[in-house]
Amino acid sequence: MQNGHADEIAKLVEPGRVHRRVYTDPDLFEMEMERIFGRAWLYVGHASQVPNPGDFITTELGRQPVIMTRHRDGSLQVLINRCTHRGAKVVNERSGHAPRLVCCYHGWAFDTDGTLATVPVPEGCGEGFDKDALGLGRAPRVGEYRGFVFASLAAAGPSFEDHIGPMKRNIDDLVDRAPDGELALDAGMHRYVYNGNWKLQVENVLDSYHVPFGHASTVNKQGVQFARREGDRSGAAVVEGEKKQTTASWKDRKSYIVGNGHGWTSNTSLDEGKRSSPAFDEYKHALAEKVGEQRAADVLTPRLHNSLIYPNMSIMGLNIHVRVIKPIAVDRTEVNVFPIRLVGAPAAMNFGNIRLLNVTHSAASFVQTDDLESFVRAQKGLQSRMTDWVDISRGLGAEEPDRELNATRGLATHEMVVRAQYKAWLGYMREAA
Amino acid sequence: MALATRRLAAAAGIDRAPFEDFIIDEARLLDERRFRDWMALFTDDGTYWVPAVPGQTSPFDQASLFYDDRDLMKTRIDRLEHPRIHVQTPPSRTAHLIGNVVIEEADQGKGEFVVGSTLIVVEYRDDAQRLFAGRQRHRLRRHGDSFRIVQKRVDLINCDSAFEAMAVPI
Repeated sequence: MQNGHADEIAKLVEPGRVHRRVYTDPDLFEMEMERIFGRAWLYVGHASQVPNPGDFITTELGRQPVIMTRHRDGSLQVLINRCTHRGAKVVNERSGHAPRLVCCYHGWAFDTDGTLATVPVPEGCGEGFDKDALGLGRAPRVGEYRGFVFASLAAAGPSFEDHIGPMKRNIDDLVDRAPDGELALDAGMHRYVYNGNWKLQVENVLDSYHVPFGHASTVNKQGVQFARREGDRSGAAVVEGEKKQTTASWKDRKSYIVGNGHGWTSNTSLDEGKRSSPAFDEYKHALAEKVGEQRAADVLTPRLHNSLIYPNMSIMGLNIHVRVIKPIAVDRTEVNVFPIRLVGAPAAMNFGNIRLLNVTHSAASFVQTDDLESFVRAQKGLQSRMTDWVDISRGLGAEEPDRELNATRGLATHEMVVRAQYKAWLGYMREAA
Repeated sequence: MALATRRLAAAAGIDRAPFEDFIIDEARLLDERRFRDWMALFTDDGTYWVPAVPGQTSPFDQASLFYDDRDLMKTRIDRLEHPRIHVQTPPSRTAHLIGNVVIEEADQGKGEFVVGSTLIVVEYRDDAQRLFAGRQRHRLRRHGDSFRIVQKRVDLINCDSAFEAMAVPI
C-alpha cells in the first residue's frame, strides 16, 4: 500500500470479508495512525486519575505521547508530551504531581495548562522569541462525560457529542453502579502486550463467538465457567452440556451497533437471584440506601456485557474495567486494563472486583492469556500470502433494527460488530488526513 | 543498616539450610510442572502474590499480577492441566535460580519465619525465551519437620511493565 488512494483502500473491505493487509501492511498502519488515531475522538484517561491541581498522568494517543493534567482552575488539559525547544519528552513518569512540568534537557518549564512559564538564561533568547507561541502542543479538542476524558488530535471533525452520544448510556450503566454515582480509576492497572495488530483486540472485546472455544480452559466438564464476580457461586454456561443448562446459554447474548464503529453486547446470563456474599450484600444495601430499592435492583440487573467505544477503548461489564488499546506497530500492541473503584461501595466489594480482575485480565490471568495467544497466532497465520481474505460474514443480512434502543441488533455470536468496525475504519481511511 | 541488624537478630542461632532447601524444592516443583504438589505446599489460608507496582503495600486496593488464595490457585491449576489451554500449547519450560537467601524474621514461638531470596527465572516457550528477575519473600509456618507457605510474594524488578502473556506462576 504505497499511496493510500481512496479507491484502493475501499478494495480492502468487502461486505463479509476484509483483506489480510489491514492487519499486516506497515504502510496501512502508518496511514491508520494519521487518519484514525490522528483525528478520531480517543479515550485519554479518567478525571479521577488527576483529582487535584498539579496532578498528571502520561499516556499515548496512537503513538503521540501526551500528558493529561489538572490545571489550577480545575480544568483538564491534554498536552503533547514534547518540549517545544529541542523535542525531548517532558514528563517521564506515568503519573505524579508537579506545579510545573520541567524539561530535563535545558530546563524549560511549562505551566500545567502547557503555557511556557520560564526559560533558563533568558537573555540568550533572540529578538523575535515569542514565549507565548512556545507552549506545549495541545489536543485541539477535549471532551468529558462523567469523568471519561476523550480528545481529538484534529481541530475539525464530528463533535464530541456526535461521536460519544450514542454510547453515553453504556457509560451511565457502569457509573450508576457506584452508590455515589462516581468512579475512581485509582487501583493501578494491568498492562499487557502482544505481537499482533491492534484491531485484533478491538474486534475481540465484542466477540462472543470465541468464548467456548477460545476460553475452553476456563470451563469445567459441565461447560460452566469459574465464578468471576463477587458473590457468584459459579460462572456462565458457555458450552452446551448434555443436559439443558439451568442458566441461559451464552448464545442468547445479543450485540448492538450504533454507528461510528461503536457497539456492545448484552448481558451474560448468570443466576442473579443467587448472587450473594457478605461484600456483595453490603454493597447492594449501600446502593439501595443511596438510590432506593427499586432503582438499585434496576442498576444491578445486568444489561451490558462489553461496550466498545471505537477505536481505542472498551468498558467491560462482567469483571468491571476500562480497557485502552494502544497500537505500537503493525504487529505490536499494548493494552491497559484499569480496575474500577465504585465510589461509595464498601471496600470489600471493591476488593472483590480487583481480586477477580487479577485472574480474568492481568497479564497472568486465566481469561486474557488465551485471547493473547489467539491474537499472536492470528498475526502469524495472516502472514500467509496464499489466502488473502479474512472472513467476517457471520450473520450477514440477519441484522435487524432495535427501535427501542435506536440501534441495530444481531446475535453476539455473529460478526455484525466487526463489520461495523470496518465500516467506521473505511470512513476514516478513505479520506486523506 | 536496619535490614542487616534485623537479619542478624532474626537469624541468630537458626540454621539457614532447611529454609533454603525448602524454597529450592518449591521452585523445582514449578520447573517440573508439578503444580498440584506446589499448591499443596501452601497453608489453607496461604496466598501467592506478585504485585504490579514496586513496593506495593496491599493486594486489596491495587491491581496485582497474581494474588491467589487457595481457591483461585486451584482454578489456575485446573486450567493449567486443561488439554485446551492455548497459551500453554506448547507448554512453558522454566528454570528457577535462587540465591542470596536470608532469614529476615523469625518467631520461634509461633513457628513462623520470613525468608528472603533473589530469584531469576528463565522461561522458554514457542521459540521465545524471556527472563524474569526479582526478590521474593516466603512467609513460612513450621509443619512437622518441614514448612508450609503462608505467603509467597515475588517482587519482579519490572513488575509495572507491560508483559506478554504469563501462564505459569513465577
